[in-house]
Amino acid sequence: MNDLEQEQKQEQKQAVVHPAGDVVAASIGELRHEMQGLMSAGVQEMTVDLADVRMIDSRGIGLLISAHNSLRKLGGTLAVVHASKDILDLLHTMRIHQHFSVSGDE
Amino acid sequence: MAMSDTNSDDLVQDYLAECQEHLATIENDLLLIEQAGAEIDEQLVNRVFRAAHSIKGGAGFFDLTKIRELAHQTENVLDLVRSRQMTPTPEVVSILLMAFDKLREMIAHYRESNASDIAEFVEALAMLTADNLPPDRKASVTERVAVGASATSAGIEVSAFDLGQARLGGKSVFLIRYDLIHDIQRLGKQPYQVLKSLMEYGTILETVFDLDSAGTLDDEPVNQLLLEVLFATPLGPELIRQAVDVPSERVRVVAKNGSIQSLEEAEAAARAPVAAAKHGKSSKSVKSAKSAKAAEPARPAEPAMPVEAAQPSEPAIPVAEPHVPEANPKSALAPSVSSVESTIRLNVTLLDSLMTLAGELVLSRNQLNESVARQDERGIRSGAQRIHLVTSELQEAVTLTRMQPVGNVFAKFPRLVRDLARDLGKEVQLKIEGAEVELDKTILEGLSDPLTHMVRNSVDHGIEPPDKRAAAGKPRSGTITLKAAHQAGQVVIEISDDGKGLDAEKVAASALSKGLVTREALQAMTEREKMSLIMLPGVSTAQKLSDVSGRGVGMDVVKTNLDKLGGKIEIDSKPGHGTTLRIKLPLTLAIIPSLLISHRGERFAIPQVNVGELIRVRAEQVKERIDHVGDAEVLILRDRLVPLVRLAEVLNLDREESVGAACNVVLVDTGAFEYGLVVDKLHDTVEIVVKPLGRHLKGLPDYAGATILGDGRVAVILDIAGLAARAGLTAAVAQAVTRTEATDREVEGDGETYALLLFENGPGEACAVPIYMVSRIERVRAAQIEHLGGRRTMQHRGVSLPVVTLSDVASVGQLADSQAWVVIVFEHAGRLVGLLAAEPLDMIETRLTIDRVTLRQRGISGSTVLKGKTTLIVDILELVEDVAPAQAVTAPSLADGAAPPAAAPTVLLAEDSDFFRGQIKRLIEAVGYTVMAAEDGQAAWELLDQHAGEIAAVATDIEMPRMNGLDLTRRIRADGRFPHLPVIAISTLAGDEEIARGMAAGVTEYRVKLNKDEVIESIRRAVEDSPNGPAPRGASGMKAEELV
Repeated sequence: MNDLEQEQKQEQKQAVVHPAGDVVAASIGELRHEMQGLMSAGVQEMTVDLADVRMIDSRGIGLLISAHNSLRKLGGTLAVVHASKDILDLLHTMRIHQHFSVSGDE
Repeated sequence: MAMSDTNSDDLVQDYLAECQEHLATIENDLLLIEQAGAEIDEQLVNRVFRAAHSIKGGAGFFDLTKIRELAHQTENVLDLVRSRQMTPTPEVVSILLMAFDKLREMIAHYRESNASDIAEFVEALAMLTADNLPPDRKASVTERVAVGASATSAGIEVSAFDLGQARLGGKSVFLIRYDLIHDIQRLGKQPYQVLKSLMEYGTILETVFDLDSAGTLDDEPVNQLLLEVLFATPLGPELIRQAVDVPSERVRVVAKNGSIQSLEEAEAAARAPVAAAKHGKSSKSVKSAKSAKAAEPARPAEPAMPVEAAQPSEPAIPVAEPHVPEANPKSALAPSVSSVESTIRLNVTLLDSLMTLAGELVLSRNQLNESVARQDERGIRSGAQRIHLVTSELQEAVTLTRMQPVGNVFAKFPRLVRDLARDLGKEVQLKIEGAEVELDKTILEGLSDPLTHMVRNSVDHGIEPPDKRAAAGKPRSGTITLKAAHQAGQVVIEISDDGKGLDAEKVAASALSKGLVTREALQAMTEREKMSLIMLPGVSTAQKLSDVSGRGVGMDVVKTNLDKLGGKIEIDSKPGHGTTLRIKLPLTLAIIPSLLISHRGERFAIPQVNVGELIRVRAEQVKERIDHVGDAEVLILRDRLVPLVRLAEVLNLDREESVGAACNVVLVDTGAFEYGLVVDKLHDTVEIVVKPLGRHLKGLPDYAGATILGDGRVAVILDIAGLAARAGLTAAVAQAVTRTEATDREVEGDGETYALLLFENGPGEACAVPIYMVSRIERVRAAQIEHLGGRRTMQHRGVSLPVVTLSDVASVGQLADSQAWVVIVFEHAGRLVGLLAAEPLDMIETRLTIDRVTLRQRGISGSTVLKGKTTLIVDILELVEDVAPAQAVTAPSLADGAAPPAAAPTVLLAEDSDFFRGQIKRLIEAVGYTVMAAEDGQAAWELLDQHAGEIAAVATDIEMPRMNGLDLTRRIRADGRFPHLPVIAISTLAGDEEIARGMAAGVTEYRVKLNKDEVIESIRRAVEDSPNGPAPRGASGMKAEELV
């Protein structure tokens, strides 16, 4: 179900990760793998597009933060885009948006 | 100091009362000032200025230093506004409003006010007056405090202002450390849900995510993810344990100075003498904590998540509205205005008239005493009359003292609406009408919370964002109108908005999904009744399940609150145009008109507001007017059915009346539904004084109180809703009972028994087909329908299925995209045809009469009334013939290879039901035979008699007027002409006994009417074998099998 799709931008340093389903414990292994792959390929500015994600659980949040931590070590940044209202609410409540860019649908 | 002097205590009270009066008007004045902007209304500003000034003056006199200082600062700012040196921008007004909120808070607790920390306010106001500061600092009333800082944790930084505000109203602040893995993931929960439910108990002030706990991508997946939550709640340490699902050692109490202690310590401290608590009140420690952080750059307060600040002053609805945005704790202050007052100001003339009346009463008593002593009967009578008169007047006057203008409650709404609208990014105007209408103080106090809830709902869910409004062609700014008026001895309060309105269907769907109503009940409901479903617990129009809020969350609580006040609520809404909520309230609660009833000498009172009408069911009518649905009794009242509750049964009083005796029914209305209360005797309507029931009788839901009647005896007041609940009657049950009965009654009607599949064509267009016609039902999406060669088809089990719609033939509505489409698959003449239809689907087996005239048209064989709706009976054969005539007519004959229709064998059909006769006739014709139809056995016999040589087979119903099917068969067999004529009995009944009787009478075969395949097969075989059947026989016999 987690049919990951990656759109390499022209620059190797940027990449968009596009999870195809919910970011939950069952699916994050693959996502983590994909992110690691991108980073070892030199990506420093990673965007996670949550357009198709309805739900994100504790593990999912952990993954986003791990990614942020990893990218920060490399001097890069993480951005989350197209978060649904609930996810946006959640990330705002947890003040995660103070650490990396989080934006919603509109 | 002056304050300790008891003599000056009265003075203080006067001063406080005066302050409160000032503060009550200040808020609205400030809002008006804000609206006017640069166009300063000097009088208005002067009024606020003078209010601030007199608060300052009094405070100086009583040595209330902090109040004086804050009042002084506001005065300074107002002076600048007055002299036009400062424009009252929303920021300026916000700071003023907050300062006055703080003043109100300090005045309410004036004894402790000198210990209050007002530094932030003073600073913010001073900044305004300094004027040369950048505007962004004007808005920052923030100074940061670190909470829970320790060696292991950086703690949470929060604005001191927020922290102070969060504590208002006796709330506690807790620091909760969540481990997202253990406390949420492992418990199978979702973080979003956990935080949402936390917000039901209070406000999340700030959170800090421990990023390091997550590690990096290269680390092993971590075992803990730490989230610190700073949480303000009215719950104490005891209750917070239950509310928060984390180990209690990770819930810690934040003291006023920002230090933290464990729950155990806090509880111990709470048990310890007040000394400990007093110690914590010192403001110095706050300052030291702050100064330590002073070097930190002051960040503007982060707008908190929209959360509900649960107010202890709103005990009725704290949990019910988790989603109402309260971004600024300041607006949480508003409801506290409604806190119960212990004193009341009265007009002196009113007091005078009370005194006069008291004097009158004394005089009347003297007169009466004397008359009694002299045994002067005339004197006694006139004395009694005077007392009667005086009492009425006195009652009126005393009631007046309790009357207060609704405006007192309305007054807080301009601020509430302003703040809420700002937080939500909406533009909302509030109009208030009829603020002078007066209501009893108790009712007014009880009204505050429900009204607040409804106004919030209007702003939050009713009014659309400006852009959406503009797109819908409405003014960008929404309008909410609060209106109070007298109407027929009641007070009516209306809350209306011109927002997006309430979607009755969504409410209905929600109620349905919660199992609160049945689909049948819904179908019979009007729009308004559907909207009223929002008053049922748990019903919401929220689109997503996770979105806890939605218009209607908590509406059930609003209703419960209003019920307590003896009020009723109605909803009126036009989607796209707005919603109006109408509350009807009695003027007072203490004395209410009531209907007296009795059961074997014991008297009860029913509040008149609950009484709809009184019905006497005479003994001879009982049988026809009182009916049973299962165990429940219902009353047939004009065209309605009303569930009945017998008072004697519910209250376990001994009951003597035998079933069938005449009875008295009081039709009562609980607000949610009506029912009939069967009582023994009806008496007068009297005004009764409501006395609360003693403690030993508390908790009995059936009684609302008691009263003392004229003869000195006690009568209990019945609680209509409680009584219904005891009888097991709820809104849903009441509806179900009424519906079931209605359905049953349909069954009792005349006509044939039909098993029908109900579906919709266009939205709301009820249609039905006989179930025996239907092979399968498939859900489809519009995209699955293909348009090829001018025909609609769809892939169905590997073949292409022709699909027709009702609107292809009949002039009916079109299927809408919004409906859930289905394809009803029919097998017709050996081929499958699909009819496009829409959900909801339902099946019903009922006896009914089909009207074959009024709505008859091609494709529609007639109509009938099912579940209160006119339902079209679809003639699928006609439909298919018209849409795809080639297939319908020629397909069988092609397959059959039979002779052209002119030479087709003839079948005689005897069937008394028009509907079935038409259906079976077409079935038989579809396989290529000619049909002669008769409406009973007699007519069939006459036809057979005339066309003796032409008829190849007879198909007959059993139950028919004049001559039934068995008699017809016997007659056929008795007549020498038709010894071998096949007779197929087609009946709804096919028990062994019936079949045996049929065979005895001489039928060839016995078939169940509803199984059309069997019927057709039998007829076909009969025709093949018939002496008058097609020739040559052998050839077509083979073909017939292919088709079967």
